Amino acid sequence: MAAGVLTKGLCGFRQPRIVAAGYSCSGPLYATATAVKTLPLQTDSTAVTDEIQNLPLETPDFFRLSELFSLKDLFDARVHLGHKKGCRHRLMEPYLFGSRLGQDIIDLDQTMAHLQSALNFTAHIAYRGGIILFVSRRRQFSHVVESTAGDCGEYAHTRYWQGGLLTNAPIQYGPGVRLPDLIVFLSTLNNVFQQHVGVRDAAKMNIPTVGVVDSNCNPSLVTYPVPGNDDTPAAMELYCRLFKMTINRAKDKRRQMELLQGLSPAGLIHGSS
Amino acid sequence: MAGSRLEKFGTVFTRVRDLMRSGVVKQSDKPIWYDVYKTFPPMKDPLYVRPVAKRYGKKEEAVPDIFYREDEIRLSFFLPFCRFVEKYTEFESQGELEKQSLFEETGKALLAEGLGLRRRGIPAVASETRNPVLGMKLTDMLAEQQADAPGGTRVPGKEKPTQATLNPQ
Repeated sequence: MAAGVLTKGLCGFRQPRIVAAGYSCSGPLYATATAVKTLPLQTDSTAVTDEIQNLPLETPDFFRLSELFSLKDLFDARVHLGHKKGCRHRLMEPYLFGSRLGQDIIDLDQTMAHLQSALNFTAHIAYRGGIILFVSRRRQFSHVVESTAGDCGEYAHTRYWQGGLLTNAPIQYGPGVRLPDLIVFLSTLNNVFQQHVGVRDAAKMNIPTVGVVDSNCNPSLVTYPVPGNDDTPAAMELYCRLFKMTINRAKDKRRQMELLQGLSPAGLIHGSS
Repeated sequence: MAGSRLEKFGTVFTRVRDLMRSGVVKQSDKPIWYDVYKTFPPMKDPLYVRPVAKRYGKKEEAVPDIFYREDEIRLSFFLPFCRFVEKYTEFESQGELEKQSLFEETGKALLAEGLGLRRRGIPAVASETRNPVLGMKLTDMLAEQQADAPGGTRVPGKEKPTQATLNPQ
């Protein structure tokens, strides 16, 4: 287990042994220091740890995530508002309820089910000590997303996505880099309204993705799409809050389980938490 | 660790499963998410869908328009309102009348064509109960406008909304 430290540096400076992009360098921006550890993907394969690992899989909603949100919350946060009819993506049609005076309305019943599924998956990944990367290229929500990631001890990338971030990681970040186990897209589009490169790259590197897909997005490559609005601040804050609560719940549960079993929480902490 | 970078074929899960089945990826190197995906798969397989350039044949409307019953009422209220505004601006541009009498004059002029307008009113059970409410609002508005005017000039203003309640058939 080698420790890697992300030090301050200017753009273009190659950082050794960084676990998948705390903050990327772009222009005169600095990257803040984050102590990270590279860990083996599985802890000691004792029967007890395996049991803890697999116990949540037996219940459909082990972390009781359905009590975190309701349909009314989604409606109040204006999650159902899509873009205009002309911006509609062909593949989003099954997720739309209808079109009111030209504006697409997303079917919140489907959104509830998809959101439950996505949060459940996220919780299980967090429970197993996986690395979660939040990605969003919406500049007005960049701060919200970054602070969310910081609050739950995970990572965020809301800056320019360099081409080889995932596909060329050993060269860009040094050998032995651990890639994220889940990427959460708070918006699957980049600044020029094309699909974010990270969606395709994550599929290439066999990393599952959770993504909020608006009515003008392509949901086909996203593993767990969540049809919903990605333009309103209220909606984005709702998603960020939900993901933060999910991850914190999952991690707390893991710590609790390990304490009950009398083990030290060695396999869980992979960053500042 | 070996991987498969073919995002256009199969899903993330099928590729990893097949890699493990063929022995390229060892069971000890199984990704964290594999068991979770197996137990809780997504509702739709995240297969890559090739972009289709054109949809041939008749385009069926997959996403229906949303209309409410209140829209019919809005329509029957809005069309006369449009005519009222048109007539008002007409009189205003003629410039002969003062502001206070503009309203009554437009009301009178519309009354003259009143039957022509009302024939387009769409009948609905709710509209009969709602239109008196709308009618009252109009009279209140006009009453405020003509607070200092004598009562005789208020007649056209009053008659217009009441006609609205009677005429929808």
